Amino acid sequence: MKTQKKIMLTGNKAAAWGARMAGVEYVPAFPITPQTEIVETLAKWFADGTLQGKFTNMDSEHSMFMAAGSAGATGVRVFTASSSQGILHGMESLYTITGWRTPMVIVNVSRALATPITLEPDHNDVMSTRDCGLIQLHAETCQEVFDFILMGYRISEDPEVCLPVLVNLDGFYLSFTREPVLIPDEKDVRNFLPLYTATQPVFQASRPMARASAVFGGATYTSFKLQQELAARHAEKSFNQVAQDFKKYFGRFYGPLETFHLDDAEYVFVMSNSFATKGKSAVIKLRQQGIKAGLLKLRLFRPFPSEAIASALGGCAKVAVIDQNLAPGMGGITYPEIVTSLYSRKDRPEKILSVIGGLGGKDIEDQDFMAIIDHLDKPDRGTPLYLYDEGDVKGFNRLQQIAKFNEALK
Amino acid sequence: MKVATGGHKKIKDLHPHEAIAPGTGLCAGCGGLEGLRLGLKELGDDFLICNAAGCFTLLSVYPFTPLKGSWLYTTMGGPVPAAQGVRDALDIRMRYRGLEEKENLQVIVVAGDGSSNDIGFGASSAAIHRGLDFIYFCYDNEAYGNTGFQLSAASPFGSATQTTPSTYVHEAGTEINKKDLFEIWKAQKPAYLATVSPREPIDLSNKFARARALKGPRMFICMSPCPTGWGFEPKEAQLIAKLAVDTGIFPVKEYFEGEVTHTVRPRKRLPVEKFLERQKRFQHLFEPHRQEDVIRQIQKRVDEYWRNYE
Amino acid sequence: MWRIRIHGRGGQGIKTASQILGSAGFYSGFQAQDFPLYGAERRGAPVIAFTRISEDIILERGPISSPDIILIGDETLLNDPQSAPLCGAEPTTLIFVNSSHTPESLSQKFSLITANLNDLCLQHLNNRTVYSSALSAVGARLLGNIDLQDLLQAVEDELTPHGISSSALKGNLDLAREIFASLQPVDILRKEEKVLTAKSLVLPSQLPVVDGAPIILEPGNMALRKTGNWRVERPEIDYEKCNNCLICYARCPDGVIGIAPDGRPEIDYDHCKGCLICAQECPGHFIHTVREMGTFP
Repeated sequence: MKTQKKIMLTGNKAAAWGARMAGVEYVPAFPITPQTEIVETLAKWFADGTLQGKFTNMDSEHSMFMAAGSAGATGVRVFTASSSQGILHGMESLYTITGWRTPMVIVNVSRALATPITLEPDHNDVMSTRDCGLIQLHAETCQEVFDFILMGYRISEDPEVCLPVLVNLDGFYLSFTREPVLIPDEKDVRNFLPLYTATQPVFQASRPMARASAVFGGATYTSFKLQQELAARHAEKSFNQVAQDFKKYFGRFYGPLETFHLDDAEYVFVMSNSFATKGKSAVIKLRQQGIKAGLLKLRLFRPFPSEAIASALGGCAKVAVIDQNLAPGMGGITYPEIVTSLYSRKDRPEKILSVIGGLGGKDIEDQDFMAIIDHLDKPDRGTPLYLYDEGDVKGFNRLQQIAKFNEALK
Repeated sequence: MKVATGGHKKIKDLHPHEAIAPGTGLCAGCGGLEGLRLGLKELGDDFLICNAAGCFTLLSVYPFTPLKGSWLYTTMGGPVPAAQGVRDALDIRMRYRGLEEKENLQVIVVAGDGSSNDIGFGASSAAIHRGLDFIYFCYDNEAYGNTGFQLSAASPFGSATQTTPSTYVHEAGTEINKKDLFEIWKAQKPAYLATVSPREPIDLSNKFARARALKGPRMFICMSPCPTGWGFEPKEAQLIAKLAVDTGIFPVKEYFEGEVTHTVRPRKRLPVEKFLERQKRFQHLFEPHRQEDVIRQIQKRVDEYWRNYE
Repeated sequence: MWRIRIHGRGGQGIKTASQILGSAGFYSGFQAQDFPLYGAERRGAPVIAFTRISEDIILERGPISSPDIILIGDETLLNDPQSAPLCGAEPTTLIFVNSSHTPESLSQKFSLITANLNDLCLQHLNNRTVYSSALSAVGARLLGNIDLQDLLQAVEDELTPHGISSSALKGNLDLAREIFASLQPVDILRKEEKVLTAKSLVLPSQLPVVDGAPIILEPGNMALRKTGNWRVERPEIDYEKCNNCLICYARCPDGVIGIAPDGRPEIDYDHCKGCLICAQECPGHFIHTVREMGTFP
């Protein structure tokens, strides 16, 4: 195996290192907590000559994603990062540039969405980009953040994909958390990921072209949209090929899913991102108490690896899909996707429970996992299971009293 | 420093090159298209237009493009940052990746007054602030034309739009003044800034020739008579444009290195109603009864403007 | 159900015609539906609008591909590939063309009804190219099941929001009345319902990005689209008098006036949209205008 140095890095620094090792040439940026450390780090590296290219301070995420897309269409390797409200502000641009079919890697540092405004994480921001046409990789560790960025460029630049790849990491729990990360030599990375050469026509004087022109008529629109769908679906194949290649070069292998004590599990937690670590810990503790728990972690979220999920969960008795997001009036966003994947299987689980937890950075504790196990054994109550307890209610009541203190005196 | 002029003195000096092929879906008699056509004549074919959603979206409809150069359709608020990305990427490739200078492109933003004054305003201000090397062409038809003529920040006082109609309660129609985009942009000291009229092709061409020789943000506001939205026969587009200049309603000027110069001056300004009375959007100022106070206010504003220059 | 498709150009009142017909049908006690097809095209460009009138609930939406009645406001559109007014017509389809020509001279394949609406419009409206009242009156009369009073009410109700003057409204009402009186209802044969067959659907194959994304690599190919069919009037340069000042060339928004090798301005009629700025601006008035007639073969 090639030499790799192991250093303590935050998730954000790991993201910056991923971009640096990928040899990014262009970073349009706009600050937002908890992402800012990524672009600050890259700004410094462009400023001191560590990275060759350009770092441009943009005026909004809407502008930032647009500049990222147009630079991609002009033939440079682009990186940018955002979070939360920034993703929403840039949403129009995100849909626009995925349709341009130009490669890039975007890092999203997950943070809950207003209202109320908060800095702490959940996944409503990244879920809002679910239908844009982005490829999404969700990271549990700082190492995955770094590795997924390198893999992301390979997938994004695959001529049969040409869609932006979004790498997701949780704010605070990963963005500001340091842990050891293996960083390979740059020359080894170059073998895995050569410097960028566009495989599609790019803007330059000798190649006049019109891109993203309007269409009239649903048939033409459908034709282009279906091509986007095919490219996105192809990205699963691309992911698996790139993962093999990545293992060959760097010794770490990533499937679209990670299974943890799943083989004989009677109770399965489906999770993603950094809280999956908490889930793994709970699985170990539950097993020590004689409860056969297991965990399925989603890494590749778009394209959605339905077949792989169905194979992993087929035959499991009881499954809890833990969504750290909320679609009010519906519940968890990944829950129906998991259920859909399993629908046609004869050995589908007898019970699939929707669980909502971790909103706005709220912790998911061991006792929460135990409560999920309890509810997997109870009849359905017609709503998702909310990880919200008596203590939360009491605490909230205290705040309400302060919020209307003078009102109470009247 | 004196700017290079295009040296055009008469119609026959206009560059014979047409960068826009015919066949587009734009309205017959479009004043904005005429302005863009004349401007592009000076810029050769090595350009890329980043286009904002608006009437000119219809310039390129898949699988057709009228342009001899390149085109990138963006969003209503997105053409300027798209220009930034292309400019940056070309600079990166030329500096670090061996792209030859002859592959360079003149990056142009084409946006209507709605995009320029409203939804894309912050982005263009930011680009001037960054010193982005680009040309900005705003076709100003004084409303959201592509959606059927609703109020934009460029709609003039006293005009009727679909969202500021003249009624018994609000007789004037639009009761607020047009945003002075020229002055706002000027405050940021761009490399070059000019207003142009399709009726003044020599002036327009010379200004584009000047802009071509400069670097940095070069901003154009093109008075764009709109037969469909303003309510006049397409053949009168140039006449309307002429009256806008002759009444002093539309000052034709440029800003360069701190100085504003009026490049086409009305010899003797005509009363504003000569311009107003020919358009359906101002018809309510004359029928069923004459709104003297509104017309007088419009005239007063024009007089106040020119007092400093005449 | 009667399905009516109306063809004309932007600015000719085609959408309003479909609305007058819809309202008139509704006032006469029928179920009704009308809507225009908004393309990107503008004033002068081909426009299509639709009206459905039925005794029963209308379980259709969207464009009418197989009309019972086709009303064509502008005969120059007859062979226009974009407007394609005869598309979907069958031998039973009733086709009306606003034309001074005989039906036989316009089409061998279909039996048409023709009448010259332009002169009537000029007489009543002082404008020969606004057909909203005229075409709706033709449609209402040919259908035979719409009362004159309902038609006139619909004319008034649909034109009033456009801010029409009382004299212009009177002109439109007179026009509608005159046309209604001059025509006779025609028996419209009901189409037989066809047996449904399934489409054969395909799974598309993935294309390289250059084809799979909206990318155009053919600069200037817009010229393949001929906008000459937008023209209602044609500018013609009087070369006897033209002094090659090229004002017309400079002022043409679409750049369709070129300069011939001998220095003369030349109009590209394939693309000229007929804005007539050239005729208006020619300093010596050496460009005159001619109404486009008989562009059909």
